[in-house]
Amino acid sequence: MTISSKSTARRATLIGACLSLAALAGPALAHHSFAMFDTVHTGTLTGTVKELDWRNPHTFLWVMADPKPGQPSVLLSFETSNPGNLTRAGWTRHTFNPGDKVQVKYAPLRDGSPGGQLVKTTSVATGKSYDLTPLPQPGAAPLPAK
Amino acid sequence: MNRHRQWLLGLLVAASLAGPVAAFAADEPSAVINPPPTAKDWADMAKLPDWSGMWLPDVGDQIKQMTSNPTPWTDKAAAYIQHQMDDMKAGKPDNFFNDCLPEGMPSWMLISHNAMEVAFTPGRVYLFGESDSNRLRRIYTDGRPHPDDPDPTFHGHSIGHWEGDTLVIDTIGVVPQAWLAIGESVGIPNNGDMHIVERMKLAKPDELIDTLTITAPHVLTKPWTTTRHFTRERRRDFDMVEGICLEGEFNPAVDKDGNSIFVPQKFTTDGLRMPIKTP
Repeated sequence: MTISSKSTARRATLIGACLSLAALAGPALAHHSFAMFDTVHTGTLTGTVKELDWRNPHTFLWVMADPKPGQPSVLLSFETSNPGNLTRAGWTRHTFNPGDKVQVKYAPLRDGSPGGQLVKTTSVATGKSYDLTPLPQPGAAPLPAK
Repeated sequence: MNRHRQWLLGLLVAASLAGPVAAFAADEPSAVINPPPTAKDWADMAKLPDWSGMWLPDVGDQIKQMTSNPTPWTDKAAAYIQHQMDDMKAGKPDNFFNDCLPEGMPSWMLISHNAMEVAFTPGRVYLFGESDSNRLRRIYTDGRPHPDDPDPTFHGHSIGHWEGDTLVIDTIGVVPQAWLAIGESVGIPNNGDMHIVERMKLAKPDELIDTLTITAPHVLTKPWTTTRHFTRERRRDFDMVEGICLEGEFNPAVDKDGNSIFVPQKFTTDGLRMPIKTP
């Protein structure tokens, strides 16, 4: 697992949680606030996409993180917005497919569960990044036609 | 002709004199309340302002209003809200929309992060929302009054009329459980007797503004006037997407007969979500 985080303690907690059986799971919540994620102490990792769970009310990207020497692979769930807002940010349900190598920047779950909120996801093969682009602001001109 | 029919006939005559407004006999179940629109009714639609396209809310607006236009909570409600704010700052938000019930009124108009579409038909304005099981508000603009005793609903009973280019909407009959939310984890049930008056209009060619005056006597000390801004986008990638909240509680699967079905989402004993294809 390749994880770099601004918080060593956070990283230790995250790795510890990753090694447990709970590493196969993500948060159970449906339509919820994102205050459970620590957007200050973001981390990054590289890994392989297991699945893009493209659904409402929140979409999940499951990533098998690259293992560190001597450590098992760990599956993490990264949560993001919903198909409506993701479509507006350039995503489709085929943007990431099983087997794709990705680099993920994320805001970890505050409770140390394995995963977090997607901040930016980059395809290693193409170098293309996806995030949630800011929505248009009132008073601003509509976005230009593509 | 019995007295009741005479009364109804009189109402119909009065309505026909008043113009293309349907006759309403609020206490007459068999009265025609949805007459077929005439060609003029449809032509009149073209005289209304153009609210077509997708409307994206300014999601930061309510956060700014927490300081610039604070909600006049009662002391009891304020204590409740403060507790939620503290929990949110501690990373333990009060996820009261986690049950996937509709956000309802007025929360949809105040805090949704998702797109809205507006449609006019003779006698109706429809507001379609994208998330929590595709919101729908049906606003009667055919001149009917509120029912005397409406069945409480998440979005309430709404009647509207045009004042120039401003749509004025009056809403009652919202379930007392509907949240008066100023954030996804900050709010309180309205607790009944809520009345909402909205004025929706184009502030600029591509900016729609909804000014809401919310009267909720069980949680507010006085009516609270607040606003929501929406920006219009017409591009394909801004088009409406279905948003069924409960989808998150189920996974696609195939049953023993080969039929595609949904099965309940798997969770660990710790209550954590499992991936669809458990490795």
